[in-house]
Amino acid sequence: MNTNPGVIAGKVRTADGQPVAMARVYFTSGPVALPDITMLTDATGSFSLSAPVAGTYQIGCTADGFAPAMASVEVKNGQKAQVELVLKP
Amino acid sequence: MNTKWRFRGHKECQLRLVPGICKILTILKTNKRMPTTRKTPKPTGGDEPVTNQLEEAAAVTTKKTQPPSEGVDPKTQPATSSGIESVDGFTLQEVTQESMAESFMATAADFTVLRDIGEASFGPPPDETVETVHGPDNRIQITSTSIYPWRAIASLLITAADNSMWIGTGWFIGPHTLMTAGHVVFIKNSGVPGRDGWVKKIQVMPGRNGGTLPYGSVTSSNFRSVTGWTGSGDENFDYGAIILPTKLGSTTGWFGFGVYSDADLTSAVGNISGYPGDKPSGTQWYDARKIASVNSRKVFYDIDTAGGQSGSAVYRIVGGNRMAVAIHAYGGATTNSGTRISLDVYNNMVAWKA
Repeated sequence: MNTNPGVIAGKVRTADGQPVAMARVYFTSGPVALPDITMLTDATGSFSLSAPVAGTYQIGCTADGFAPAMASVEVKNGQKAQVELVLKP
Repeated sequence: MNTKWRFRGHKECQLRLVPGICKILTILKTNKRMPTTRKTPKPTGGDEPVTNQLEEAAAVTTKKTQPPSEGVDPKTQPATSSGIESVDGFTLQEVTQESMAESFMATAADFTVLRDIGEASFGPPPDETVETVHGPDNRIQITSTSIYPWRAIASLLITAADNSMWIGTGWFIGPHTLMTAGHVVFIKNSGVPGRDGWVKKIQVMPGRNGGTLPYGSVTSSNFRSVTGWTGSGDENFDYGAIILPTKLGSTTGWFGFGVYSDADLTSAVGNISGYPGDKPSGTQWYDARKIASVNSRKVFYDIDTAGGQSGSAVYRIVGGNRMAVAIHAYGGATTNSGTRISLDVYNNMVAWKA
């Protein structure tokens, strides 16, 4: 296990900019095998996932009442990458 | 507080200042007239058990299978002889050529000493990514979640040390005990300040079906894992347990589990049902497929899963019994994987079963 992982941090919001709490954010693909776990966004719509190695990660996001959203994130070794996910009904 | 289990025999017994009492206790622990379950030295190496509780003694048996229970309510989904569950709309898919090729890669190497099974088995080609749903998504929603075995599977709401919240899956192996992935109960090398370590609490919701909780929920802060995970973060030791303060498992029933040979596993169909994050909130989804390959620590398969299904049982149906063979933990390129129930894993599960 990489002891200096990167981090994918971001926010989930609606099209009109409102944060989405308790949205489910998870990896759908990545450069290595990844833990099959899902994070829930907090009250500000924020989340942060560990990226064990550098590379391109696909993030999925679902929340009840919204269509699923996806994002592709490039992570450099040990660094934080930012992403924003916008959910539409 | 992270405290290792401390059963080490009478030499370290807290009663050592009273040698006579200590010796009597030692004799009782090894008396042949006692039941087959006995206190023995616990697994060492990466499988040395640890807990966030103060201390506990490990019970280890010589048997290699533990039976399931269907719970107090007799409603049970009949098992099929084909190794899969009888679920409307579900058909067993063939193992793909891609997963077979990957399985060959996985079995061609010695994985017992590798730290990152993902890198080892899949390689890190820069333009290739891994996915947990391979090809068409074959998962089927389980709606009859108050029937065994579905009710012995629990949706988990996890609160980490930094108060971040996560979802995962667990499954009963006894009245008080659920198995899950190690990274569900103990977060390692997250890169996020304040997050690493034992999670604060887990809300356990057996048989959850969306907003319906047929067996309510129980919250636990009593967890188990092993040093191979909590100390080294080694994927090969990614398993843990949740101990409930109530006997909810007596109602829901539990899975059996066992140690099986490579030949048994590679000829078997693996079944997984859990609570993925990419489906409507709190719904349970099932898939099954032939196990692609194994090594001494892992089981590989292309059963479709998604984030939130970490901790699910990978089980086979043997003589009508649901018998777990691995704990699902990772998504791979064309093959997902779980921690194999080896003899050391099995011994820890027996010790944790309550």
